[in-house]
Parts: sequence; C-alpha cells; structure tokens
Amino acid sequence: MKITVLYGTETGNAEMLAEDIVSGLESDHEAEAVNLSDFAPDDFEAGGFYLVVCSTYGDGELPASAKPFAEAMAQSSADLSGVSFSVFGLGDSEYDETFNHGSKHIADLLAKHGATQLGDRLTHDASGSDMADDLALPWAEEMVALAEKQASEAA
Amino acid sequence: MSASVAIIGAGPSGCFLAQALLKANPELKVDLIDRLPVPYGLVRYGVAADHQGTKGITRQFERVFERMGATFIGNLTVGEDVSLDDLRACYDVVVLAAGLPGDRSLGIPGEDLEGVIRAGDLTRALYEHPDADPLPTLGKKVVIMGNGNVAIDLLRILGKTPDELAGSDFGAGPSAWLAGNDIETIDLVGRSAAEAAKFDPEMIKELSKLSGVTIRVEDMGTAQSDEGQKKLDALAAVDGHGAGPRQLTFRFGLTPAEITGEDGKVTGVRFQSASGDVAEIACDSFITAVGFAAAGPLGRDELAASADDLAAGALAPGLYATGWFRRGPRGTIPENRADAQALATRILADLDAAGADAGKGGRDSLMAERTDLVDYAGWKRIDEAETADLPADRTRRKIACRQDMLALALQKSEEING
Repeated sequence: MKITVLYGTETGNAEMLAEDIVSGLESDHEAEAVNLSDFAPDDFEAGGFYLVVCSTYGDGELPASAKPFAEAMAQSSADLSGVSFSVFGLGDSEYDETFNHGSKHIADLLAKHGATQLGDRLTHDASGSDMADDLALPWAEEMVALAEKQASEAA
Repeated sequence: MSASVAIIGAGPSGCFLAQALLKANPELKVDLIDRLPVPYGLVRYGVAADHQGTKGITRQFERVFERMGATFIGNLTVGEDVSLDDLRACYDVVVLAAGLPGDRSLGIPGEDLEGVIRAGDLTRALYEHPDADPLPTLGKKVVIMGNGNVAIDLLRILGKTPDELAGSDFGAGPSAWLAGNDIETIDLVGRSAAEAAKFDPEMIKELSKLSGVTIRVEDMGTAQSDEGQKKLDALAAVDGHGAGPRQLTFRFGLTPAEITGEDGKVTGVRFQSASGDVAEIACDSFITAVGFAAAGPLGRDELAASADDLAAGALAPGLYATGWFRRGPRGTIPENRADAQALATRILADLDAAGADAGKGGRDSLMAERTDLVDYAGWKRIDEAETADLPADRTRRKIACRQDMLALALQKSEEING
C-alpha cells in the first residue's frame, strides 16, 4: 500500500525517524517521507494512510516545521473523512507539564477534520531508556498492518 | 562531484553541516576535525548533564559517521598542530564550526578576585571536559550573574538534591562535589527586566520540580509583549515554590558595577538599578554567565571582520563559517541546525560553480605522518568504555582525562593514520 510519512521537526530527530521508517517499509510498500513544512491540508488523498512523526518543542509547542501546517489545518475546511493516520510522538518527560503536546495537537487537528486514527498515539520519552529509532519501524509495521486490515475490511 | 570538505569542530553545528552536505551529495568527502579525542562538542560538554533528552540528537550524528560516510579526525588542533592555510591547501572547502569557547567578561573591577567564577569554566569542570580546571569552592552564598539558559542550568544543578541527579551523566567527582557543597542561598541576577530575560520559559518551569529549595522572585515588573508575558508567567509559577533549605532568589534590572573583596577574595558585588540606586549583595562566590566569546588559535574575530559575506557564512573563497563561530553566542540547537543547512546550500552552489576545479586530495597529503589522531572507531571505544557497567542512576561515566581517552582510542587506529 501507499504510505506517506509526515514529519514535524525542530532538531531533526523526527526527520531521522521518518527516513528510517521509509527505508524499512519501502521494500514492501510505496513509502515516502514528507516534511510537514512542504505539506498542505489539501494534499491529503482520500483513502490514503499517513504515519505522522512529530516532536514537541519549547513550552509544549509544535516544532518549527509543523507550525505552518497546523495553522493552515486549523483554518482549513478540508474533509479528511476517508483518511487514516497513526501518530508517533516525541517528547521529554523532563518537561512533564507539556509532555508530547505537539503530537497530540496534530492528532487532534486531523481527527477534528474527520480523519480516522489507527492505533494509540505512541509517546516516546527522550529521558526514558528506549531509543526512538529502535521503536519507530516496529511501530510503523504494526500501524501499516492495521491500515491493511482496515482496507481489506472496507473492500 | 566528489569535492573534499574539512569541518573544524565536531559539535552540533559541524555535525548538522556534514549531515546536510552528505544528504544532498553523498559523494562528498567530509572530514569532521576536532581538537578533542571525542566528537559532539557542546552536546557532550555544554548541554546540561541532567538534560539527557536534548543529547538525543547524537543519534543523528552517529549516522553521519556510520551511514553517511563522514570521517572523524579527533585530537587535532587547527592553528597549532596544523595551520588553517595548510588545511585550505588540501581541501576544496574548509568550514570553521569551532564555536566560541571563551567566557565573556563583565569588564568591571574585581573580576580577578578569587571566588569569581566564569560559567564556561564551571560547566567544563562539572561536565568533565579534559581541559577543565578543578571544581572551585563556592561557599554558602552564591550569586549568579546572567539570566540566560546557562545561568538557569547552573541554578538548577546547584539547587538539586543528589537524588534529583538520577538519570544524568554527572560523574563521580562532580556528583560528590555537588552533594558536598554547603550552599545556603543562590541569587540569580539579571541586568534586564524580567520580561526581557534571556531564558526560555520551560527552563524556569522545570525548577518547580526541585525538592530542596525555596524560590522567590523579586522585581518581576510587567510585560510589554506576549514573549515577555510568557517569561513572567513562568516566573510567577515558581515564585514561592518549595520549603527546602536552599533559598533561590531571582533579581532583575541590576547592572554590576564592582566586585568587592578582601585579601584577594570576593566578598560581594555592587549593583546599580535603572533608577540609579545602588544595591550590594554579599557573597562567597560570584558566577558570571553573561555569554561566550572567541578563544583559541583560530583568530575568529579577525576572520569574521574580514569576511566576504559573514551573513552567508562565506569568509573567503573556499573558507566558510557556521554556528556560533559565525553568528556569535546566540541561539540553541535548532538555530544552529538551520544555519548549517543554509550554509550547506551555499557551499554546494559554490562547488557547482567551481565545477571541475574542485578536486583537492583532502586529508591524505596532510595527515599521513601523524600517529596520534583519533578516528570514529577510536571514539566508539571511548564511548563503549563510558557506557559499560554503569551505576543504576547514571547514563554515562565520562573519561575526563585526555591521556586516558587517547590510550583507549589509539589502541588500533590505522584507518586515518596510515
């Protein structure tokens, strides 16, 4: 299936994970990583599946590359009811009040426009012991399996 | 096009530049040169030891060496072991990304008194930089001058209990020093009004987790901007926090005029407020965290002054600068990443324009004779030793001595030395 990995990044960590996911998936799927800074609300394809990798920066804010997209999305009347997505969030529990707010913000925006979230949002903790790059591809494969199951049930 | 590129400084700016260059053109031969036997610069020696999440960007940098083909050349000081001119003769492109390792001084009387401590000297000692001086004695009353993130890092670290250092990479020596000091008060003094303070609000909010302190904010004032209001909100949120024995006090709008002392040792600092009032704060030590400046053999300020186009990072044909070395000591990791990415675009365009003229041999002609250079495999041996058999509450145990680093790193390092 076709998978678009959208990433919102400030220091490059989410971009690295998006590229890891694409390299891991591309032997079996058509996969592409796209920076949210190069993506607009009208670019979503009906029936499409999107993996979103997004960090949190500063005081619970979106990372720089996701900000213009989020602003456009908030203004947009795009109907995403045929769109499915899953979210891999990056955060740091050292800043517990705003932990993973960025990924939640994006997930809420997509859901508000009618998109369907598959699986629970994964919230990685940079101060924890797991390495995000160990988790990203297994997570992506699990989410792709959910998307394939959903597609076959719909067919 | 397989031009050769030498980046001086393997800190975040240099690594982000190598990443951007190699992403755009995997054929480039990129060498990251550092005067230390270890890479990552301020990620290792400047990002606070209790901010391990921020250090996660090293996962990206590891790939620059392990997958994208950049070469690490450690333990080589440009300007001493090899001249900048010789380097330029060997490489098509040379980029200065060596940061600003010096501490800015206040320029007031008394700065040479014992007990006046520069933040860069203190953080190097706390984070076990191989060139660091021993950790100083701070005494009971500490004043920190400055209100940027480095000042807040020091305030937080000095305010933490030993248990609150869990999960950090503070070494045994600094941990024992932190546990053993007998600080009663820390005053953090800023020249600007609170709303114009340089810290990021989340750095202040983080202080609300400290269990061993009481926090007070004086002279909060009002805000003229949303940015300023966020800073005041963060300060208000921690004002009155805690009932611990260590008293942390924020003060604003005070310009230091003179450091006073007796018998060569600091006893206090005299400040002037905007309205001209004079305030004196007694202290046993005075830590200045008022920014960084050029230091070392590269002659940064002269190069910057004669640059073709400093804003674009172009110093002279084939010679570039990025990060703090270019811009001055402002901006955190994301700004330096953006700076490095912009410079990569510029360098690639210049190389394109040079066409077939690019083709200098790179390191071979310059370094074949040297036997003391540390390659990436050498660094990985240090890295492995530092992360093996760790105490449960630490993520790394740094090797603090250059000779010990080199002994490990040079066990077998044929790749770049011969």
